[in-house]
Amino acid sequence: MITLRDVTKRYGEVTAVDGVSFEVPSGEVCVLIGPSGCGKTTTLRMINRLIEPTSGSIEIDGQDVMSVRPEELRRHIGYVIQSVGLFPHLTVAENVATVPKLLGWERRRYEPKVRELLGIVGLPPAEYADKYPRQLSGGQAQRVGVARALVADPPLLLMDEPFGAVDPLTRERLQAEFVRIQRELKKTVIFVTHDVDEAIKLADRIALMRSGNLEQYDTPETLLDHPASKFVHDFMGSDRALKRLGRARVANVMRTVESTTGGARSVVAEACGGSRFVYLTDERGVLEGWVDCKVLDAGTPPEEAGTTVDWHEAAVHPETTLKDALSRMLGFGFRNVAVVDADGRLVGEVSLAAIEGTMADADTHIANLEEGEVLGAIPEESPAERDELT
Amino acid sequence: MVALAGCLLLPFVEFRPNRIVSGTFETVFVAGVASWALVALIALALVVALAPGRVRGSLLLVAGAGMGLALLWALGVAAVHLQEGAPAIVRVSVGPGAWLVGLGALIVWFAGTRATASVLVRRIAGVAVLLGVAAIAMWGGLGELSLAREYAVQSRRFWTLVRQHLVLAGTGVGFGVLIGIPLGVAASRNRVVRDAGLGIASVIQTIPSMAMLGLLIAPLAALGLTAIGTTPAVIALTLYALLPIMRNTFVGLAGVDAAVIDAGRGMGMGRLQLLLRVEAPLALPLVIEGVRAAAVLVIGIAAVTAFIGAGGLGILVFQGWGQQADDLTLLGAIPMVVLAVLADVSMRGLRRLVVSPGIEEGTLT
Amino acid sequence: MILPPRMRPVVAAFAGTMLFAWIVGQQELWASVLGSLFPESARPVYPAATVAELTMQHLRLVGISSGLTLLVGIPLGMWVTRPSGADFREIVSAAVDFGQTFPPVAVLALMMPILGFGLWPAVVALFLYGMFPVVSNTVAGLEAVPRTVIDAARGMGMDRARILFTVEMPLAARIIMAGVRTSVVINIGTATVAAAVGAGGLGDPIIGGISVQNMAYVLQGATAAALLAVVADGLLAGAERLLTPRGLEA
Repeated sequence: MITLRDVTKRYGEVTAVDGVSFEVPSGEVCVLIGPSGCGKTTTLRMINRLIEPTSGSIEIDGQDVMSVRPEELRRHIGYVIQSVGLFPHLTVAENVATVPKLLGWERRRYEPKVRELLGIVGLPPAEYADKYPRQLSGGQAQRVGVARALVADPPLLLMDEPFGAVDPLTRERLQAEFVRIQRELKKTVIFVTHDVDEAIKLADRIALMRSGNLEQYDTPETLLDHPASKFVHDFMGSDRALKRLGRARVANVMRTVESTTGGARSVVAEACGGSRFVYLTDERGVLEGWVDCKVLDAGTPPEEAGTTVDWHEAAVHPETTLKDALSRMLGFGFRNVAVVDADGRLVGEVSLAAIEGTMADADTHIANLEEGEVLGAIPEESPAERDELT
Repeated sequence: MVALAGCLLLPFVEFRPNRIVSGTFETVFVAGVASWALVALIALALVVALAPGRVRGSLLLVAGAGMGLALLWALGVAAVHLQEGAPAIVRVSVGPGAWLVGLGALIVWFAGTRATASVLVRRIAGVAVLLGVAAIAMWGGLGELSLAREYAVQSRRFWTLVRQHLVLAGTGVGFGVLIGIPLGVAASRNRVVRDAGLGIASVIQTIPSMAMLGLLIAPLAALGLTAIGTTPAVIALTLYALLPIMRNTFVGLAGVDAAVIDAGRGMGMGRLQLLLRVEAPLALPLVIEGVRAAAVLVIGIAAVTAFIGAGGLGILVFQGWGQQADDLTLLGAIPMVVLAVLADVSMRGLRRLVVSPGIEEGTLT
Repeated sequence: MILPPRMRPVVAAFAGTMLFAWIVGQQELWASVLGSLFPESARPVYPAATVAELTMQHLRLVGISSGLTLLVGIPLGMWVTRPSGADFREIVSAAVDFGQTFPPVAVLALMMPILGFGLWPAVVALFLYGMFPVVSNTVAGLEAVPRTVIDAARGMGMDRARILFTVEMPLAARIIMAGVRTSVVINIGTATVAAAVGAGGLGDPIIGGISVQNMAYVLQGATAAALLAVVADGLLAGAERLLTPRGLEA
């Protein structure tokens, strides 16, 4: 548990953080949010003493951070920043091994851990361990940053706009992975962002700050439904129903679906079994596309009645929020979207109706979608055209 | 800066029976009142440096300027005092202590200019120092110092040598520009020119200037020319000026954003128009920077060409070494530094003047 | 045998050094070549010392002064980029910028009245003059290290000394080495001139040759000095390459 009591930071006459107090229970994600200059990053950096507080106290599991040597303190707190800050002269594996080496671990002990962590963040060590940072994309570099922060198994993780510098699609993927990893590892996380959607998506609790003061500290639902002030109300935005969808996960509303590895007409037709569509996978179950059964019944050969897709682009994950799933559907013009696991294996699908069902008070444009806009309405499009639609 | 105080105890001036032999040293205190003013100003500088505050910059400026002026004043007083009633051949020259105090004054002054935000204060201080130096030079007895006496003896030859030095360096840089810029342009258009040209130019840059003058013997002899005199000197200086100018022209042109060139082409500019209207203005800051570096370098190397009889201020330095006459050496060396610094400052000024205000300062190196 | 690309210049420089050492040792070779180039000269080879001896004198002068330059210049550059030396950062940079415009001959000339003639005054002059590129590149190299990398290192719990030596110095190594290379090459050149103030070395036959009108001496000294400079430059370029961390190679 992290406890901040009356924490204040002054620079000369300017007060950057003014008497902020809050508690983060162990294993929870606390998102610090607010307009630029509100003191959220300063607050974060005081926790690992990259900035020394002017007054007040910060405790980690009952221990005052001021009672520990700053370097020692930081070695037991994971730290991820927007610009990643990988050491350009070290390989990916050496970067990840930095903190274990500082802690005096033996190679025997940290090497398997490094490889494990690289695997967890989705960078197969065989391929990535010996690469240098300049050979990585922005998203990959940030995965290494997360692995580097987690490798020594710190109970507390500080993240300063970690996904702020990558493109929207990569950000969405990194967020989904963060949710997956967090479910697995159960760290206490303090996360700074200025993106309300990101906060709603990831937070157990949100601390909304404004010019050095804590405006409201509560669950995302409470901030949305019972804002403490007009500032909180305005900051959280007006599309509250849509925002709330950012809290629900695909896993809660998805249903299982039929699939086939394809092949002869009779096999595919049987798999249809009365449904309008059937998904196509390879032998391992990785999503490859789908077949429109009505077109198939009309006598078209299976390979022409089908649509081939790249699951990276066309599917969502169980951890994906309903908001992102909805925006994916709207982007494609479909009423259904496939759900796959981290390796692309088909696990189900989620429908527009299911999302509608979760929001009794749902408003406007979703309900107004034309009935005719079904999945099969644009069956002939090529993968290239699909890309353009996204 | 604490060491500055110690400098006062070092020999301040040297009293010598004539211009060659070494003489006896005197400390700063032969200068009477002026020496006490100097001590007080050094103390001020120390106090100010140790106690930072809002007016620290201005105080440092005052202290630095004061130290410099008091130093000159003290030197003049000492010179006049020591030479009273002595024969005209007697010399009083500047001792190590005085040199170090002068260096200290410069450091304090620099620290002051950096710490002072107000441009007005800096300008006023600069003008005040210039006026002070002029006043001391006219009435302060500096003319009695050995360096000034040496100058008085050598004055006509001195200015001839300064002129020679400038002509040598100027010709070298001039040819360097005439050859280096076209080569730089060619290097940006052609890989072979780039690799061969820059490669050869950097090997030339590596060769010691004295060795270069020696190596020119053989090719010059083959052309029927002697290796002594102005011609080999200008050839060597041109060779040294080539690399900075050529490299910066190339880097400047290569650094022009491809999108800008594309836009120019899209508007219907031909290759030559593109070069003159788009690329040249954008590469100009770097080209001027190359010419600046070449000028500073060549002014220094022109000193060495005195060895092969090309003239210039190097002659005074080498004759001074040959005769063990320090004053003569300094009479050659100090103006050389002044020339190099002037070339540096004026080229930086030129760059500021001609470079399009649209190009940020940050892109200049 | 196929060499990895980063080793090629190193091996070439090493081979060049060996070749240079061999040539310098062949006094008879110098004599016969110079003799055939200057058939009218009675004594085509500088008599006072062999090429090898002159080269050793030259290397001693450059070695001592450049060694001192590195010992003082790199720590000085490191210090002014630390918080404890930050107050002196501006003034050191100003002094270094100013010093770099000084002609090397003028620096030698300004030292002589204070220190006199001979080897040691020349060492001091070369040492001081060599400082400028080393200090300036050390400061530039250390300041070019991205702030975010240092922030990440602090955030992981590295102390200042470890950040300096395991993060900042490796990242700055290439720029620092480029400064060292410039400094040493300039020193080799200035050391040639320093023969005029009695420091010895390969400048001796050049200056001696001009004063007695024997161009063979001049060519002898000039060739050896030029080769020495080119070989040293190549060797330091190889070292620069080796010290550049792999992750930073283009």
